Amino acid sequence: MDELTREFLIESQEGLDRMERCLTDLEERPDDAALIADIFRSVHTIKGTTGFLGFKRLEKLAHTGENLLGMVREGKLEATPPIITGLLELMDILRAILKNIEADGSEGESSNDGTIIANLEQLQSPAKAPQAKEADSAHAESIQAHAVGKQAGSAETGGAAVAEPPVASAPAPAAPVSSVTSAPPASAPPSKPSAAAAPATGPEGPEAEAGRTKAASTTSAAESTLRVDVALLNRMMNLVGELVLTRNQVLQATSADPKMTLLSRRLDMVTADLRESVMRARMQPVSNVFSKMPRMVRDLAQMLHRRVRLQMEGQETELDKSLLEAIKDPLTHAIRNSLDHGIEPPDVREANGKDPEGTLRLRALQEGSHVIIEVSDDGAGIGVERVRAKAIERGLISADRAALLSERELLQLIFLPGFSTAAAVTNVSGRGVGMDVVRTNVEKIGGKVEIDSRAGKGTTLRLRIPLTLAIIPALIVRSLQQSFALPQGALSELVHVSPEQATTTIEWIEDAPLYRLRGKLLPLVFLERLLMPVGSEATRDRDSFIAVLDADGRRFGLVVDGLADPEEIVVKPLSSALKGIGLYSGATVLGNGDLALILDPGSIAMKAGVAMTGEEEAARATEDEVADIDNKGAEFLLVEAAGRKAAVPLGDVLRIEQMPVKRVEYVGIRPVINFDGQLLPVDDTAGVLAAAQGDPEAPIVVVVCREGRRHVGIAVSHVLDVATGAELVEAGTSLRTDGVTLLKDSVTEIVNLGGIADLPVESDVENQWNPVEALQ
Amino acid sequence: MSNQPSNQSGATRRKDKAAALTEICSVRLGQSMYGVPISHILEIVGQARPQPVPLAPGFVGGLVHYRGDVLTAVSLRHLLKMPSREGTQDILVLEAPGGYFGLLVDSVGEVLTLSSSEFEANPSTLDEARRDIIAGAYKLQNALLIMLDPERLDPVRLGVAEAA
Repeated sequence: MDELTREFLIESQEGLDRMERCLTDLEERPDDAALIADIFRSVHTIKGTTGFLGFKRLEKLAHTGENLLGMVREGKLEATPPIITGLLELMDILRAILKNIEADGSEGESSNDGTIIANLEQLQSPAKAPQAKEADSAHAESIQAHAVGKQAGSAETGGAAVAEPPVASAPAPAAPVSSVTSAPPASAPPSKPSAAAAPATGPEGPEAEAGRTKAASTTSAAESTLRVDVALLNRMMNLVGELVLTRNQVLQATSADPKMTLLSRRLDMVTADLRESVMRARMQPVSNVFSKMPRMVRDLAQMLHRRVRLQMEGQETELDKSLLEAIKDPLTHAIRNSLDHGIEPPDVREANGKDPEGTLRLRALQEGSHVIIEVSDDGAGIGVERVRAKAIERGLISADRAALLSERELLQLIFLPGFSTAAAVTNVSGRGVGMDVVRTNVEKIGGKVEIDSRAGKGTTLRLRIPLTLAIIPALIVRSLQQSFALPQGALSELVHVSPEQATTTIEWIEDAPLYRLRGKLLPLVFLERLLMPVGSEATRDRDSFIAVLDADGRRFGLVVDGLADPEEIVVKPLSSALKGIGLYSGATVLGNGDLALILDPGSIAMKAGVAMTGEEEAARATEDEVADIDNKGAEFLLVEAAGRKAAVPLGDVLRIEQMPVKRVEYVGIRPVINFDGQLLPVDDTAGVLAAAQGDPEAPIVVVVCREGRRHVGIAVSHVLDVATGAELVEAGTSLRTDGVTLLKDSVTEIVNLGGIADLPVESDVENQWNPVEALQ
Repeated sequence: MSNQPSNQSGATRRKDKAAALTEICSVRLGQSMYGVPISHILEIVGQARPQPVPLAPGFVGGLVHYRGDVLTAVSLRHLLKMPSREGTQDILVLEAPGGYFGLLVDSVGEVLTLSSSEFEANPSTLDEARRDIIAGAYKLQNALLIMLDPERLDPVRLGVAEAA
């Protein structure tokens, strides 16, 4: 294939993609001239180029479409649903031809071009158009009244206006079964049946205006962009990684020379910017995937006789290109499931007192280093009893075991291969492939799938996708005098065990070590012993840290010798000779140039055999968390200071340190703690420090919290628990109280972090500049 | 020259006596000298400290960082059943069908240009394990240069062999 044809194919594909998007939008706003102009442009471009390249079949089809669109553009015709359906069909056939050209360079055999052209020509005739429109609006009303029953009949009425009813377009002149609205949901048309029958009355004004300006800005953006090969971007990414490492070495080597410092700082900043830019270059907005959905939802809704309103939010959220590709399939599956199993047919919805038009919501948002994609519907939800029955029927689980499962655990069963609750296998779903595919695909790219469902209320499927595949946040741990990277995703908390505590806090059942974490036994895995089965000692006379991990529902503590800083690591694959070990998911180069193996928490759990014991524990733990979330109250750390209880907002707590009271030093009368040169102001309003002053070795507990941008410490005697606070109101006024909450049925004061006096610091700008830490 | 080695990888195992010249990098391991055809060497990294991989098969000498990639380094000492050695080692970065890998040696010597007429295949008395990675030897004036077969040192291949 020559360069010109290839270029034409890419361009035409993009044109058709844009056209598809615009057509579904047009259904919503048939009067939007900018949309019509945009569609017209796409078809016109294809027609122009095909003529030039000699693709006769394409040219003829595009030409007919252009004529029809021309009339719509000039206002001679209204963009009625039959016209839109006709144009969508035209688009499908254009796509099929393009695919053919891509495959073998020929346009392929024309099968029903004639009928499509005839149909489009028929739609052009202004005399017939109003008739078709009438038939259609009548049809729309029939849908309102009797949902699906009348569809076949009215399709005939609509088809009668057309000379030769095309076979391929049997359900063609249907009313807009699905209407598409973009965020914000507040501006969506009122959910009355009439809104669907007359979509033109929907969002006029600001939103339509916004659509127009957006269309205008996309065209100008197209002129300032450039197509780049992804392989080249990957290569650039690799080289930038290399540059970052070289820079780190330069920084270390030149730190002593004041003349070089300025230069190396500059190098540092340029490298950081470069890395950022290359990463950005690989990012694409999720709208690239989302934009395919309105058409799919529209077609599926027609096929399944559902009425669905699609809402999309957060389309501008960006994700690495390869990940975006990877979520396309899971997302499609999830939407199919929502339409087929979730949203009920309109008559059923009405009978249940719901809006006959169901809502399907697609939402993307960034949360830290993850992008969350949510597919939620307000359909029937998942009946856990049906799940239980089906799982037993399909032999996925024994009846005894099924009886023991909690509701949440039952929901997880739908992710098993071969599971489907659909009574009948349909074209759309019900073959028992689906949710397991969703989960495997998402887990393959390091993501997670969560499902939440309320019977009768709807289902929410949440895909958590890492921002990029190549770079993950990890905690660097030390063991065997060597660094290992532990992905942060699996890490839930860290516990420090000092040598003198080790003998008492680590308990044993025969030779299985356990740690009592807030009253529950947590199985422990010693990394050192796992990696070096012979020669490592059972007794530990040095500090240890327990990393509490939650991998695939298995909860355990990994014991390591030391912790280094968290780092954003670049994942490098391992040679197949090392993959057999199974414990490592890759390797990485750390900021100091050292290599570190990336530990795979899931495999460690399996290898250590904690799988089964940990499972229920984890389920219970997550259930507790869920219960807490349901309460909607803020969580607090309950502490005891000098005999009194107080609450610290859990969201602000960074870590909890235990130390002898002598570590606390004083600046004037203000207590402070020096952490390797970082000074932490300590709050001692409760007088814990004063009480412990007699014995320099007396242990105190300091809760380190975040307050604005600074960190502060609170001296307490004990940390008691984590609990959810309940609101209190002032008697009489019913005003919410401030600074006090109801914790475990007793009124507890909330520590005022803002009240802790600032340390004397230099101006802010000086403090902000810390590029090495910011980068690595 | 008309009889330049046509198939470079097979060059070291040529049995014909035609005087083709091959450039060979000599490496030292303990008291012995070994050779690797230079056509297989991408780069030599000196004074490297490979990162050990716990639980890895014995022939894996560790991981090394090479141009943004992480290479698996094969310990030649282990393959030749020599005791391992403390301290830094030199690494030859070699090309294999599955990607690059490193070969850990005590030190890298000079590059020699040798004639294939000086080459002889393995003696039948050589034990099985060594015969697997040694291609033969060049007769130097006062010593033998034992030729290694780089393709047989590929960790992927060694891993399969170990598993079998």
